Amino acid sequence: MIAQITVPGRPGGDLAPGPSQVGRVQSGGMPAGTGPRRRRAGLKSHQSSFSWGRHRALVAALLVVGFGLSGVSGVVAYFLPAISAAFSITGHPTSGPAAGKHPISTPSAAPVTNSSQPFNVLLLGSDNDTKFQANHVLAQTMILVRVNPQAHTVVMFSIPRDLWVPIAGGGTAKIDSAYSDGGAADAVATVENNFGVAINYWVWIGLGGLVQLVNDLHGVNVVAQMPILDDEYPSDLTGANPYLQARIAILPGPQRLGGVAALEYVRSRHGDVLSDIARSQKQQQLLLDIKASAADASLADVPTIAGSLGSSVKTDMSITQVTSLLPLAKAYSDGQVTQVVMVGSPYFSGTTIGGQDVLLPNWSAIHGLVAQYFPG
Amino acid sequence: MRRLLPPLAVMALMAIFGFAVYSILGTLKSNKHLSTKPTQSQALVALPGRIVLVQAGNIYSLTNLTFTQIKAPAYDWVQVETGPPGEILAVADFGMYSNVYLLNYQGQVVRQLLSEGSSQYFSNHWAYYPRVSPGGSTLFYSWDWVDPGSAYNVDFQIQAVPFANPSARAVVWSLPGLYYQGGDVEPIPLANGGIIYAKYAVDSAAGPGDGSTYSQLVYASSPSANLVYLTSPGQNCAEPALSPSGTEIAMVCTTNTLQTTTLQVASWNGTSLGTPVVISSGPEPASPTWSPDGKSVLYLNTLLTDKSSPFQLWWVPKATSARPGVPQQVTTGLNFTATSPPVWTP
Repeated sequence: MIAQITVPGRPGGDLAPGPSQVGRVQSGGMPAGTGPRRRRAGLKSHQSSFSWGRHRALVAALLVVGFGLSGVSGVVAYFLPAISAAFSITGHPTSGPAAGKHPISTPSAAPVTNSSQPFNVLLLGSDNDTKFQANHVLAQTMILVRVNPQAHTVVMFSIPRDLWVPIAGGGTAKIDSAYSDGGAADAVATVENNFGVAINYWVWIGLGGLVQLVNDLHGVNVVAQMPILDDEYPSDLTGANPYLQARIAILPGPQRLGGVAALEYVRSRHGDVLSDIARSQKQQQLLLDIKASAADASLADVPTIAGSLGSSVKTDMSITQVTSLLPLAKAYSDGQVTQVVMVGSPYFSGTTIGGQDVLLPNWSAIHGLVAQYFPG
Repeated sequence: MRRLLPPLAVMALMAIFGFAVYSILGTLKSNKHLSTKPTQSQALVALPGRIVLVQAGNIYSLTNLTFTQIKAPAYDWVQVETGPPGEILAVADFGMYSNVYLLNYQGQVVRQLLSEGSSQYFSNHWAYYPRVSPGGSTLFYSWDWVDPGSAYNVDFQIQAVPFANPSARAVVWSLPGLYYQGGDVEPIPLANGGIIYAKYAVDSAAGPGDGSTYSQLVYASSPSANLVYLTSPGQNCAEPALSPSGTEIAMVCTTNTLQTTTLQVASWNGTSLGTPVVISSGPEPASPTWSPDGKSVLYLNTLLTDKSSPFQLWWVPKATSARPGVPQQVTTGLNFTATSPPVWTP
């Protein structure tokens, strides 16, 4: 650094000067126009400057590379939770505890290769609390989503969890048990077999992930369509006893809910005459509300959100597929989303089988509705 | 050793640079929906009188452009309502139940009006929407009624107690029409002794894709009187607010399918509503209240261009059922609780 000040712009030599050389040049400095000494000094300076030029380039390159690496390290460290979560969330094989015991163990529809091609996703949501073994949670939310990028339309079709259907893993049971018994493989296969819809991808989310996601978004706005009163709401999100109950009251009308209240809003069903049907409606509504809030998140929010979702979300999509689909989410407004919830007759009727309250499907009515929203 | 100092210094600078990049990325997080305390903010519009409302469990008073916190006991305050002169009604949520208090503007408890907590789990209750009758003699409120035959069946009903003696036996003014439908909320006591309130119900004719829950404004002249329905199920209206003159009603109406909410005003002749006029068309207007002179409506709403933003105070000047005004945003960067109307006193 000192050499640059001492011999500016001179042709360089081949020796890298140290501080002592610099001092010598400085101390040997002559008045302008002196003869041989000047030439000798000039020659020395020429050789030295050549060395200095290379040295400066090398140092500059090292500085650029060093600071560049340092900056990249800062970026990588910041996005590490997101990178880690992306690997944790994506690429899950479509298999479960019962994989292989039935003929269909993967989604029958191939991954989407054309960005304008419509595709179907099965959204699964579970009460992944301590009442259940980690790999045997019920899929208490099942929503079939059809995205048509070309027409810019989305259909959300809720499947009642108490629907009494043949399960892909064998036997007949409530449809929510398919995921519990056979993981995503059985859930996907059961929906495909019964509803006649080819599923391209599945996504699973646990309750804790939903709460954390809403909190990371600083809350969501909902219009509660009625007072929600539930004296026997499961207080199983935290605490040692997942069988405890809680009293909840969510007042009607527009309001902003935090994660826990949002979960209570979509999960409560005891105080609602529509029970699971109302719950399906509220789940769809919350998904749209979360989408609206997430639209305001920036790239810098991704690590926080992804980090908190890491252990609560799984999908068979690859990172590349998720990345290619994310822009689609921002492209749709609420008006382009059709929400379908089957409400009682003629789609199903309630009865009791083996002590369980179940819904018996009327497949001709259901298939008619499915054909309307999931053509081809 | 001295030779090592420059490269060490450069390496230290690199490390600092890397950390700076990490830190700067952190500052780029979206704080669009983060809110500040009202006391750290100023109103955008100076409104006459005093306005009291709730944010994050605390009660705040707005006078001119300045917010001050009403230092009430450290409860989770969720609703405020107009009380006798110099006082407000306030609801505190205790997790399993809610109580109603009479506070002065310094936040001191003048008296506890309703006490709904119990050591017996199913004897806890919720009391919300407390309203004092125009003469000051009766306290109306919504209270959760639990079916003795099924603890799943819980709905709000409207009941009333003497304001001077609220521990007296309550008079039940409404029973939910059917079970499991949410029930009756937001009573508005009238000068003639009757009440208007919002009744929630479920449309049994709803088809797939339809929202099947709706609310209607109803009028009851007495606890045993036949109900007069003021709005249709299709209008889906709630959150009534009666003008000081008693001749107009502001209300919030929602179309279920697209969740589009509007603030409307209709004339009221004591038995029926006139044709409503939309005075705020969205995104999510809530909890209207009238100015003391009856010439404007104050309410909560999100930002007009961002329906996912927290609720701010909005004001429609000179809003009447015949001539709607232009809504003005009164606050910014706050996050008011939108489930009860602000209190606006002279």
